Amino acid sequence: MAEEGKNELEKRIIEVFDAFDHAGEKTVDVREVGTLIRSLGCCPSELDLQEIIAEVEDKEASGSVTLEKFLQCMVRLVEENKLQPAEPEELLKAFQMLDPEKRGYITKEEMTKYMLEEGEPFTQEEVDEMMGVAVDSETGNIPYEYYINQLMVSKELYQLKRDAVEKVEARPSRKSFRDPLLRRSIQGSGTF
Amino acid sequence: MPGAGGGGGGGLCGCVRRKEATPPRDAHAASSGGGGGGGKPPSGGLLALLRGRRARHPEPSMPKAERTMKAALLIQRWYRRSLARMEVRRRYTWTIFQEIEYAGEQDQMKLYNFFNALLTHIPAAAAASAHAQTPPASAGPDAQRAPSAAEEPPDIPEELQSPVEPGYKGAHLGSPLTRDDLDRLLDSFRRKKPVRLHARYVASVLRDAAAHLRTLPNLNEASTAHARHVTVCGDLHGHLDDLLVIFHKNGLPSAENPYVFNGDFVDRGRHGMEVFLLLLACLLALPGGVFLNRGNHEDLVMNMRYGFVREVRLKYKRQADALLRLLEEVYRWLPLGTVVDGRALAVHGGVSETTDLTWLKTLPRSKYVSLLRPPVSATEGLGGELVDKMEWKQVFDVLWSDPQPGAGCVPNKLRGAGVCFGPDVSEAFLRRHGLQLLLRSHECKPLGFELAHGGKVMTVFSASDYYELGSNKGAYATLAPGEAAPHFVQFQAGAARARHLTFRQRVDLVEAAALRELRAQVAARRAALEDAFRKRDPDGAGTVTVAEWCAAMEEVTRLRLPWRLLLERLVPPRKTSADSASSGGSGSGGGGGGRRGSAATAATASSSGGSGKRGSRRVAYQDTITELAEGAPQKTVTDTLYRNKESLQAAFRVIDKDHSGYITAEEFEEALTLLGEQLPGAAADLCRSLDMNKDGAVDLNEFLEAFRLVQLAAAGGATDALDADDLEDDAADSPDE
Repeated sequence: MAEEGKNELEKRIIEVFDAFDHAGEKTVDVREVGTLIRSLGCCPSELDLQEIIAEVEDKEASGSVTLEKFLQCMVRLVEENKLQPAEPEELLKAFQMLDPEKRGYITKEEMTKYMLEEGEPFTQEEVDEMMGVAVDSETGNIPYEYYINQLMVSKELYQLKRDAVEKVEARPSRKSFRDPLLRRSIQGSGTF
Repeated sequence: MPGAGGGGGGGLCGCVRRKEATPPRDAHAASSGGGGGGGKPPSGGLLALLRGRRARHPEPSMPKAERTMKAALLIQRWYRRSLARMEVRRRYTWTIFQEIEYAGEQDQMKLYNFFNALLTHIPAAAAASAHAQTPPASAGPDAQRAPSAAEEPPDIPEELQSPVEPGYKGAHLGSPLTRDDLDRLLDSFRRKKPVRLHARYVASVLRDAAAHLRTLPNLNEASTAHARHVTVCGDLHGHLDDLLVIFHKNGLPSAENPYVFNGDFVDRGRHGMEVFLLLLACLLALPGGVFLNRGNHEDLVMNMRYGFVREVRLKYKRQADALLRLLEEVYRWLPLGTVVDGRALAVHGGVSETTDLTWLKTLPRSKYVSLLRPPVSATEGLGGELVDKMEWKQVFDVLWSDPQPGAGCVPNKLRGAGVCFGPDVSEAFLRRHGLQLLLRSHECKPLGFELAHGGKVMTVFSASDYYELGSNKGAYATLAPGEAAPHFVQFQAGAARARHLTFRQRVDLVEAAALRELRAQVAARRAALEDAFRKRDPDGAGTVTVAEWCAAMEEVTRLRLPWRLLLERLVPPRKTSADSASSGGSGSGGGGGGRRGSAATAATASSSGGSGKRGSRRVAYQDTITELAEGAPQKTVTDTLYRNKESLQAAFRVIDKDHSGYITAEEFEEALTLLGEQLPGAAADLCRSLDMNKDGAVDLNEFLEAFRLVQLAAAGGATDALDADDLEDDAADSPDE
């Protein structure tokens, strides 16, 4: 699995790519690129995904994406600090935004409505799955201050990048999050 | 995208369209299972910290609608990311199970290549055992028996004729078997705890079945001329519940509702005996209702490793050997495939570029008592041997092969046996024989079936939850007259138990089982692993880089797995401070996370140092070793320790040429000479260290004990449980419990 001459960032991407490469021919279905990128720890918008797919989709064999192209594209994006998830505090604030009365929870109905109608809307399937985990069975509400733990993923990918480009001048990241204690705590809480 | 599984594939196509409102669906198999609450991990220090920081970020001033939209967007992105993580975990879990399963088969092939070498070099052994009336024939070095259709079915030995005890609660059967007998058998197997059939009835069914099977051609012919459809079922592997679900959904077999069972009835599952008996009883009592194809597990050599021999011994103790002999007699007479309506071929594995149905139809199939032993040529000269090998390959390829997406036909490296055949090979085969469809089994698939080679090759697998609760569905195919494509019906015997689980819980559950298996694999190689780490840590710092860690794991386990992804799962991040400790965890509400408290203790105990090294990403490998040692399960499907014992028993029987139960000095010397040729020095040394007790003979227990001691010394105690645990386990754990 480890490819010779590749750095850790590349190897990490290759590993996840392989999990989606059913035929073992170093290609994946273009429809799975979104899941693939997200499972690497990135948080792309739908527009980001469209652009990435337009870039990496095989021109000859439409519908498929080769490892070579994907790897090239992802390494570049990570090195440019693109597709980075917002910080956990932003996530908390987002939930608080949907809870103007500061009750500490959002009802199942409210949340369902927001997720189905706002932003990049969920499918019913996604909503059902989310509620299955998020809703407290006793109250029927989402105590979001607990729920956000479930959504934590370690930011390891972007740290790998720092290794890979150690000698390159550090680019200003979109928003750095320097509190070491908090960072460690987020590390520890990786759901992966 | 057959492999996408679990409702994957579905569609970023939605996202590709430039419409904000298009519901983006991602390729995660979201279950609709509602289910309560899931696990609520404690928020720990994270929340407090977040709160503390809140003040520093004043609310931006933007319209409320826009802020709501942004908030929703952010939550959605985070959520989709967490689901994608689930999906990738689901996938590598599957990889773990498969890699471990096939690695076992490779081991098995290596072992039997060695035995075959033994046989070729000790032809006397083959000759002697060909005539010997000895226990489980293929456990020893018996030659393939000569084909002789005139040969009488074996008499039922005395130990299988004991009268039925008054307290017996199982079914009473007659011979020949009637429909009423079958109903009684079904009733007794349908109970919550299937009732064991008395050994004398088992023997009678097996003997009658062998006698019936020997009248059948190598390839069955099934037809929909007088039937609604023909149903094809794949591997059952002792899953009695699945077989009963199929009968319940699709009706009992009959001439109007015929079934093809495509091999692998036994091994792995707990009720191989019941499944096989039920199928054979249907064959006998329902004329025209059942066609049985041989699978690669209808082979006593496979049964020794994969559990069926053990099941028979546990269920039938004293009579086990006699029953195994009868089972073997049934195996060798099982047909090799079934042609449905002259257009579809159902075989267990597949085809190779040399597969020729005319040859398959005419070869003497009963000669292949065990396929894992290529024929020892009785024919004089090299030419004769060659013909034997090619004939053997005809059978072997049909039972062991897998389709591959790429063109061509190459040896099946993953399994170590059979071939992988490409779409060109199946196309040519079908055209050559005027067929349209190849139905095969042999591989577990998430949905229970899978199409390959442009729909010309179909896999059907009927054991649901094969790897773990929720791991896969089972399926059967029905071929109706006048319909080109078969119809697949999916089911899950344990569905009631799995239904309330969310996607996350199912992933957690199955992953936990996979990691348990993996830990067992690694734990059994603990000493080698320590060496591999030390080799990469010349300064003795106690740490290696992630890349080195991965390389060491792959080198030692020989499993090709996404080790970087697995690192965090196998060796949880160190607990660096009290407040970070509690916020961790995957929040699995699904239970089944097979980690014991002791493992956590071990991790904490050794957590000094290295905590500040997160940035440099080095792995303190002692953690890995401690974790794995602590986390090693007592019992798994591929129970490494048990496997050793079985292999050794088989080895013992090979060396014990005359089946006296003792290895004489002469026999041992002969084997040793050969071992020296066939195995690297270490193994030969190991054998030499076997003390012959000065009496010139060693029995099985001494043999095992000697191996254990040598193994202990070599492995530093990692495998000390070789026989003690194992033998107790045999006694205590009846599969019927």
